[in-house]
Amino acid sequence: MSLDPAMAGTAASPPRLSLHGWGTPITLLAAWLLLIAATGIYRPDFLSHQTLLAITFTMAIVGVMAIGQALVAISGGFLDLSQPSALILSSLVAVRLAEAGLPLPLIVVAAVLTGMAWGCCNAAIIVFGKLNPVIVTLATNFIGLAALFLVFQLAQAPLGSGLHGLGRTAHLGLPAIWWPMVILILLVGFMLPRTRYGRRAIAVGGNKFAAKARGISLRATRFAAFTAAGGFVGFAAVLFAASSGPFNPASGNNLQLNVIAAVILAGISLAGGRGSLWMLLLSVGFLSTIPTALVFFGLSSDMQSIFQGFILLVAVAIDGYRARRNTP
Amino acid sequence: MMRKTLRAAAMTAVAIPAIVMAAGAANAQDDTFKVGMAVGGNPCCDWMKAQGDVARALAEQRGWEYLELSNNNDPAVAVQNAQIFAQEGVDVVIQFNGQPSSNPAVAQILGAANIPAITYDIAQEGMYFVGIDNLAAGIAGGEALGQIVKERWNCEPDLVISAEGAVAGIVNEWRTGGMRTGLKNVCPDIPEEKWVSFESQGDAAVGLPAARDLLASHPDAEKMAVVGLNDGGVLAAIQAAEQLGRAEEMIGWGQDGAFITGDNVNPHLVGSVFYFLEGYAVYAFRDIIDPIAAGNPPPVKWEAGDPASRVEPCPVTAEQAAEVPDMDERVEQLLAAPEGTTAFELFCPTA
Repeated sequence: MSLDPAMAGTAASPPRLSLHGWGTPITLLAAWLLLIAATGIYRPDFLSHQTLLAITFTMAIVGVMAIGQALVAISGGFLDLSQPSALILSSLVAVRLAEAGLPLPLIVVAAVLTGMAWGCCNAAIIVFGKLNPVIVTLATNFIGLAALFLVFQLAQAPLGSGLHGLGRTAHLGLPAIWWPMVILILLVGFMLPRTRYGRRAIAVGGNKFAAKARGISLRATRFAAFTAAGGFVGFAAVLFAASSGPFNPASGNNLQLNVIAAVILAGISLAGGRGSLWMLLLSVGFLSTIPTALVFFGLSSDMQSIFQGFILLVAVAIDGYRARRNTP
Repeated sequence: MMRKTLRAAAMTAVAIPAIVMAAGAANAQDDTFKVGMAVGGNPCCDWMKAQGDVARALAEQRGWEYLELSNNNDPAVAVQNAQIFAQEGVDVVIQFNGQPSSNPAVAQILGAANIPAITYDIAQEGMYFVGIDNLAAGIAGGEALGQIVKERWNCEPDLVISAEGAVAGIVNEWRTGGMRTGLKNVCPDIPEEKWVSFESQGDAAVGLPAARDLLASHPDAEKMAVVGLNDGGVLAAIQAAEQLGRAEEMIGWGQDGAFITGDNVNPHLVGSVFYFLEGYAVYAFRDIIDPIAAGNPPPVKWEAGDPASRVEPCPVTAEQAAEVPDMDERVEQLLAAPEGTTAFELFCPTA
């Protein structure tokens, strides 16, 4: 299912999917099922609707943010480290509009546009300044956090508003905020290798010299990737503002590592050009199940942090191994 | 050559008096009493910024200089700030340091510079203690919640959840542990297995996933009481219960009063304990800084049990809290009140 960079294709030739790349999904699925089975055996009440709700709530925001991060990674931008600031800025916009009584669809549009504007700023600095995306987004995250701290201390969706209700309702027994995450991952995962912009992003991430030789604009592609990524963070912000209760400028920081870990575990190369967004469903699900399972095992939150750090380390090691293997 | 020598002599003649005048001006400035304030700098809590705003206003009312730095909720920064205050030659320092591991170093630096220091809420030998008795505040809140647990559930809750904030160290133990003690004072027979905890980090949004996981691991619990380090932590548990469809019989009692006022109060947050943290500077100025400025420094009382200035805790139900104005309004009224009037005297409905 993974996209082979060598076959990523261009606007003229559609990409071909290689079917030999089932290792990542099978490994992820096996690890996830093993975790569920082990916890279920240790504590049979783990296999309950309450657990399902807890995990799916946790998945929703991380999943949508991971789409944006994956787009940046696939297009060769490595990582967007400014996601926490973008998330809180867009969440603040969403809350303020909810306080003003605007309907939810307008709030969603405004938050997404805010996220895209943030992504545009990042892209402009990276593309026109020809600067390292990691350093730029690290810097904009710092600037954003400090600026947000000057603007507000605490914000929360007004009780009884549509935004507040979104974070507490369920469809088909699962959180209302979970479904958009699933739909977006499936949709973007489907469209990425099948649209001109998607193919260009993959091509630029895979081999920017070859992409340039084919007439693909590196600037425009990277600009589009960061802007689109900002849009997804803007949408995640709606889910965050709806479900998180009171938040402060630093409340998004804890999500960063989970998002990056989810992208790497999904087999999306930080070197660019490779990876399937569909795998995010498995990696985000697996990562969201771990803390819940650890609670059932009676382990403390400190142990949870150790586990998450360890998994990130393993994921980075796997990514590095893949990169070396694919280097001619 | 002669012309150059004359020019140099003329410049020297002008420069020397200018330097002397500047030095004189600097000496004149040194005569003005100067207050240094290190605010907590944790973005979690708007009262940290308000503490600085009130201290600045009180210093300006007295015609004093005021230098504010932020500890950025970082122990290393708190130490750096102490060094800056020493270099700047302030006459007194106030600090709130939410990372108390650096307090001994801060006290040592300021002590070496002979600068009297006041610390809010977290006691440190050598520094005047101004603040709440956190343990007493915790017990008061726990007992108030205990009364509700007794009335509603005959002291038989399915679960008592503690929203911990380990990073606050001893303050967490005093407040959250104090609330458990207070609850046990009213309901002593709640079985040990019903007491559970999660790490909220004192932040509703950050603590929410951990709270959801905890509730999921106790799927049969319905009658749940929540205590915690602060309102934010308690709210994390309440929001989690709402999302899992189990908030109907959940009640929480917080600390610090951050989320118990205004028109957006969660109905399951039934009470909190106000400290009116924004107004601590009134105590510090009235009982310590004004006497120091007048040349009569009070003895350094550094222990929370025998403080230099004690802040009264104000436990309130949600209904009582509705009478209390929000923080911006409180700051405004506090600064307009007669000198030395405390926020507790102005706003506590149970005073």
